[in-house]
Amino acid sequence: MSDSSSSYVSAPYAHASSAPSVLKAQSLCKSVTSGERSLTILHELSLDVAAGESVAILGKSGSGKSTLLGLLAGLDTPTDGELTLFGKQLSRLDEDGRAALRAGRVGFVFQNFQLLPSLSALENVLLPLEISPRVGESQTAQEWLARVGLGERTSHLPKQLSGGEQQRVAIARAFVTDPELVFADEPTGNLDPDTGAQVIDLLFSLNQEAGTTLILVTHDHALARRCNRCLRLENGRLTPFTPESLGEDA
Amino acid sequence: MSQHAYHHNARLAWRSLKRDLRAADVRALFIALVLAVAASTMIAFFLDRLERGLERQASQLLGGDVVLEQRDPFAPELRRELEDAGFTLSDQVDLVSMISRGERFQPASVKAVDDVYPHYGVSRVERGNGTEELASGPPRGEAWADPRLAELIDLEIGDSIQVGQAEFKVSGFIEREADQSAGFGSFNPRLMVHTDDLEATGLVQEGSRVEFEILAAGPPEALERVEPLLAELRQRGVEVRDIRQDRPQLGNALERAESYLGIAGLAAVLLAGVAVAMSTRRYVERHLDTAALLRCFGASQQQLVEIFALQLLGLALVAALIGALLGLVGQAALLALLVNFLPMTLPPPGVMPLFLGVLTALAVLVGFAGPTLLRIKRVSALKVLRRELDPMPPAAWLVVSVAALVFGGLLWLYSGSLPLALALLVGGAVLLAVLWGLSTLLLNGVLAIVQRLSGRGEWSKALRLGGRQLARRRQAGLGQLLAFSVTFFAMAMMVLVRGDLLTAWQAQLPENTPNYFAINIQPDERDPFEAAVDPHVEEKSTLYPMVRGRITAINGDDPREAVPADARGDNSLRRELNLTWQAEVPEGNEVVAGEWFDVDANAVRETSDWMSAVDATPQTSPVPISMEDGLAERLGLTLGDSLTFSVGNDDITTHITSLRSLNWDSFKPNFFVIFPPDVLESFAHSYITAFYLPDDAQGLTRELVQDFPGVTLLNVDAILGQVRDVLTQVTRAVELILVLVLLAGISVLYAALTASRPVRAHESGLLRVFGAGNRMISRIQGAEYALLGFASGLMGAALVEIATGALYITVLDLAPRLHLGLWILLPLGGALLIGLIGHALSHSLRRQAPAASLGLLGEA
Repeated sequence: MSDSSSSYVSAPYAHASSAPSVLKAQSLCKSVTSGERSLTILHELSLDVAAGESVAILGKSGSGKSTLLGLLAGLDTPTDGELTLFGKQLSRLDEDGRAALRAGRVGFVFQNFQLLPSLSALENVLLPLEISPRVGESQTAQEWLARVGLGERTSHLPKQLSGGEQQRVAIARAFVTDPELVFADEPTGNLDPDTGAQVIDLLFSLNQEAGTTLILVTHDHALARRCNRCLRLENGRLTPFTPESLGEDA
Repeated sequence: MSQHAYHHNARLAWRSLKRDLRAADVRALFIALVLAVAASTMIAFFLDRLERGLERQASQLLGGDVVLEQRDPFAPELRRELEDAGFTLSDQVDLVSMISRGERFQPASVKAVDDVYPHYGVSRVERGNGTEELASGPPRGEAWADPRLAELIDLEIGDSIQVGQAEFKVSGFIEREADQSAGFGSFNPRLMVHTDDLEATGLVQEGSRVEFEILAAGPPEALERVEPLLAELRQRGVEVRDIRQDRPQLGNALERAESYLGIAGLAAVLLAGVAVAMSTRRYVERHLDTAALLRCFGASQQQLVEIFALQLLGLALVAALIGALLGLVGQAALLALLVNFLPMTLPPPGVMPLFLGVLTALAVLVGFAGPTLLRIKRVSALKVLRRELDPMPPAAWLVVSVAALVFGGLLWLYSGSLPLALALLVGGAVLLAVLWGLSTLLLNGVLAIVQRLSGRGEWSKALRLGGRQLARRRQAGLGQLLAFSVTFFAMAMMVLVRGDLLTAWQAQLPENTPNYFAINIQPDERDPFEAAVDPHVEEKSTLYPMVRGRITAINGDDPREAVPADARGDNSLRRELNLTWQAEVPEGNEVVAGEWFDVDANAVRETSDWMSAVDATPQTSPVPISMEDGLAERLGLTLGDSLTFSVGNDDITTHITSLRSLNWDSFKPNFFVIFPPDVLESFAHSYITAFYLPDDAQGLTRELVQDFPGVTLLNVDAILGQVRDVLTQVTRAVELILVLVLLAGISVLYAALTASRPVRAHESGLLRVFGAGNRMISRIQGAEYALLGFASGLMGAALVEIATGALYITVLDLAPRLHLGLWILLPLGGALLIGLIGHALSHSLRRQAPAASLGLLGEA
């Protein structure tokens, strides 16, 4: 995917490519009430992500990055606004309906890897295949583990793997269903810089090979710079950023 | 859900189950289920076999499945009707006749049997070649005699004896009849002959006292079919005995043991249920992350429930299988312990208890784990991003209600009584509510006291800190407190009830329980007999005078008309009763209604009235009598009812002024009807007594037989030994069950401590970060567990007192008493036990680096 396939516009921060839209958020609001006080985390936020695009969302700790990711992936419901994923309005789907929409089409990479400690590397990768309605083959899972360089460690439990290795298993797991969209939440947050860089290389190369859409939440500018498009989340709103304007730290 | 997806879920469930077997909570869950199934199947198997065995034994003791008895020969139509219903019939005739050998005469109880006799079992007969077991009666022309008869008239095998007008050759001594219960109802020694010889004796004539019996043997369906016929026969005054109504009395001991086994089994199931509930909680918490992740990957709620339910179902089925196998082995062990007292081989185990076992496992799982498991369904996918997003645990009332409902169902299933199950359930629910309140108060109290500890020593600091930890987790602490107190309660109760049962049994049959009965002591022999016996015996009952009398009217009516229809054939109306008189309530009797006779100075006038009642007519006032409450209930009689007795040539009108309960298992003379003194003295009477003769004084019996030839001595050592055997073996069976209950209790402790391990690990990790040493952490944790154990012990003791009191009065029929030792033992023992187990379980945590401990929270 080349940089030229996307551009940065002010609002609603839409992609300018001709590719169809994978995810579209319109006037998303999210507020939480605690007692009598109401706190608005996301404010009238809009976003349009085209198929094959890679988008980085940057923000400080506590800016609401994870909340936004949860909303975009249909893990949570907005207080207001509309979200369309794969052409389906999420507000019209119940929890199970949203889950069914994700099954096999959305992959996740988490900061804390989220590998099930009692499952081997192979079984962790198999997990989404077993949930999805598509036929899951352990052959496929094995191939994906080999692609992330862990073909020899399929039977190892997460605790027998290093942090970088665990995140590579998580990446294999994210891509094993051949998803259309991958969400990554601070994928390097728990890794040292060198390992982080390796993991990021892997993530981007797999993403490019598979032509997957990638939405990445991070506070790491170097990481954000590798995406087609960068957005900054501040005070509940998204603002566009050009790669050149990014410093080393947000 | 498609076949394919289902297959996937099953595979996923199976795979995670296999791996999960290593997890402490799954192990605890598994052990608890195995124990619940083992306990319930073991007891169900055993009771089922015992029940069926007893039925068979009942048939054997009765001589058939139905026995009809009347004074006249039975009509051929009746015989045909019974045969048509599917019975095989055997005829028997009983009469009392004088028999003679040369110049020696002796009344004997003659029993004539046919070729079919006996339907069940064998007789033990000595025919000159040692004792043989024979499934027949004597052939024609021959007679088998009671060894007692042989002793009385010096009989040898081959001798001839005269019975009425016929002569018989004695061909055997009968040691045990196939169809005779181990009682001593008939005082005359037995002579058994063939029915075909009866006519030749000329004894069966109009007006002679002969009992004709039909012994019918057949399948349960046959019994079912003749039910209306039997009811009609009863109304016509025929004595009808059938195996369902006349099962042999194995005595209170076995009945109580059965109750105990039932209660113990349910206690084990309840404890296991508590363990299941606790381990499920931990299991669910441990799998919330997995569930959230699966949700994230697109699993539906139904899929989640299916995966985890399948997993637990698999676990329950394996546990049920293992539990049922253990139950099978356990019931075999139980039977092995009881084999000597069960006179027959029991039928093989049936399959029903096996189903019961599997059902129990599933019910316990659904009831005690169900609502908690549903929590998994409500997990939000967002939890993968925000760890703290755990679904709310199910409401306590929901968990308790579902568990109570299922346990109530099990109670119903096992007790067969819906009212009992409901009563126990409602009682249990009220108790639980009270318990919750009490626990809260208790926990707060204990914590408040601990916080006031002012000592600066390490231990008081540990107690303060431990108490504070407990206070921080008040809700979880309360749950554990409840679980522990119920566990202590169940364990202590089973131990206590067992102890009290044993004490009661031993009190019932003390060391020197009478082993000899002496009957037919004539009034002039009374004092010499006492003088002869007293120096040699340790324990002797009063000498009771005995007068034979027959009930001829009840409230002025024919007795058969005056009593309920099903009591018309009652023995007490058909035969003479043994009447006695006493001034005081006899030992072992208790007046349960009315007043005992007022035999003091101001009653002299009345006494003279009674005298005139006997001597002169018309009668001025009825004689007060005391009646056994069981008989009164059977005949539908109560205080104030009037009975007329025919004694000798006189009629005596009486009225019931008191009802007595008495212990028929006491091995002492017992009487249905007791008169006041000075009423029956003028009638022909003899005395009866019972005494204990130690082994080394057995020579006395020979002297007594020689000096008092008219007195009959009955040795009941064999029966006594049999009853003692029952007690010893039942005791062992009870102990075996107790072990199961204790194991179930320990499984609860294990489950509870496993469930709270991660939270405690997190706390100790934090403490270590703040610089606490191993010793301090270990003391704080020990103190927390010990406090919990102490409070649980107090609570358990209170519960035990309430429950045993209720149980003794309602089910076990024992007098309630306070158990003071319990109030010390349970709290201290609880503190020690929970403290030690908790300490041991958290040992590995203390060696862990703080980072690992802190990371442990929320992960597996």
